[in-house]
Amino acid sequence: MSAATMSNPPGFTGRTVRRALRSSWGARVTSYVAFLIAWQLVGISFFRVPTPWETLDFIWREVSGGDHGGVRPGQFWEHFSATVPRFAIGISAAFVIGVIGGLAIGSFSFVRALLSDVLLVFLALPAIIWAFLTVMWFGLGWEAPVYTVILSAAPFVAVNVAQGVRAVSPELRRMSDAFGVPRNRRIRSMLLPAITGYLFTGLRFAVIIGWNAVLLAEWFGAVDGVGWRARLWYDAARYKGFVGWAIIFIVFIFLLDGLVLSPLQRRAFRWRASPTSDLDAEVGAVDMESFTNTARGL
Amino acid sequence: MATLQIEKLTKTFPAHSKGGRPVRAIQDISFAMSGQVFVSLVGPSGCGKSTLLNIVSGVDSPSTGTVTVTQDGKKARLGYVFQDSRLLPWRTVMQNMLYVSDLPEEEARSNASKYLEMVGLGHAHEMFPGQLSGGMQQRVGIARAFSVSPDLLLMDEPFSHLDAITARSLREELQVMWNATKKTVLFVTHDVMEAVQLSNRIITLAHGGTVFDDTTVELPFPRKASDPEFAAQQAELLGRFETMELERTAAKG
Repeated sequence: MSAATMSNPPGFTGRTVRRALRSSWGARVTSYVAFLIAWQLVGISFFRVPTPWETLDFIWREVSGGDHGGVRPGQFWEHFSATVPRFAIGISAAFVIGVIGGLAIGSFSFVRALLSDVLLVFLALPAIIWAFLTVMWFGLGWEAPVYTVILSAAPFVAVNVAQGVRAVSPELRRMSDAFGVPRNRRIRSMLLPAITGYLFTGLRFAVIIGWNAVLLAEWFGAVDGVGWRARLWYDAARYKGFVGWAIIFIVFIFLLDGLVLSPLQRRAFRWRASPTSDLDAEVGAVDMESFTNTARGL
Repeated sequence: MATLQIEKLTKTFPAHSKGGRPVRAIQDISFAMSGQVFVSLVGPSGCGKSTLLNIVSGVDSPSTGTVTVTQDGKKARLGYVFQDSRLLPWRTVMQNMLYVSDLPEEEARSNASKYLEMVGLGHAHEMFPGQLSGGMQQRVGIARAFSVSPDLLLMDEPFSHLDAITARSLREELQVMWNATKKTVLFVTHDVMEAVQLSNRIITLAHGGTVFDDTTVELPFPRKASDPEFAAQQAELLGRFETMELERTAAKG
């Protein structure tokens, strides 16, 4: 290589690195690297905290069915395949119940008056209470995790859908009245698309809350499943096993959001002219408002 | 063609707050219209024009009096053009047209295509409203109202939110469409020039929601604001408006 190609203009490399670090992508990578370094430092300082490498090694053995020091070979798929159907059934039921309840609460003032306080109570009850109750009601088995997911997640869908219904443009309602549009068509073409942003906010809440709920219910009231498996490592005081499963839980939620919910949301909002349009900002604002209001209850 | 009969119509809105006073928007209005007519309701802001249109469309109900809209003795089919386009932003132009139609789907599609073509949007069937300008969206709103094959077409200041050039162009298009279809139209505006350009008959409402004046316009179509007869008719109407305002001021003392 010649000397001419070796020498960059002064400050070129530094500027490029600084610019990359200041970008949102650079900031994100920096935060991951900083977290990993901090974790490694804490891991080598305290024996009760496994290092990132030890944790990764555990996850690989668990997923690949590898050996954990001669005992308890990795059983990730066995437990994961027990949990996912419980989670899927629970979330689907929570979604259906939440949408129907939310539509009724948002549409009829009588139902709103009847159910808004009840909904607030359900929102305030932590998933762990439902986990204990359902284990007491149903015993060990698949029922407790499924019902815990439904009872924990459905109120979050309902409250968001109700807010969405109440936010439907009165101008569009009056337009539909003026043309005498039939009720079924209104629900299908006006109401449901209008509340899509709220629906996705509710679904995201439901997925996060429901995932926590299924893990808790399996922790206390199942004989298999990922929650039960995490507890096994906790009871055995195998720190890397417990932390490894916590990482698996987080990765699952990230993958679900990135591979299922986000593409669905993009498809639902394909009518927007451009990703930076006013409508986009409006729906974004709606989502934030919905998050805030949900955090406050109704 | 449709017949609209309004008899002794009064509309009073209840007080907004405790201790407030009810607001009378329309007071004892009676008129009738029928056949191939384009009737404009003009008047100052707050005189009850839009309220009257809402009652005719069935969106609002009268406090007293009756409104009947019939077509050969049966309930008439209505079309409505609003001040803004009121399109569903998540549906394409064609889906918006079909949303309001109760015609069989094939006929509804054919009508939608025909009127979209008439307003110059034959290419926009699959576009979303967010991809159209405000003027184009309003064109879709007009095409949508025509496409339901209305016996009576209600239009509530459809050009008031548009810039002057777009509004002028849409007025001309509306004139062409009306001459082609001869629908019965009740058109609300506060713009006298617009009323003279489009209507065969102009009903002026006064403050307090009463009919102040009812006059026919017999100028030939197409009408141009630069024609002397047009200017004369407009000046006459504006003169009556001034008289109305003077009488109101005198009544106030």
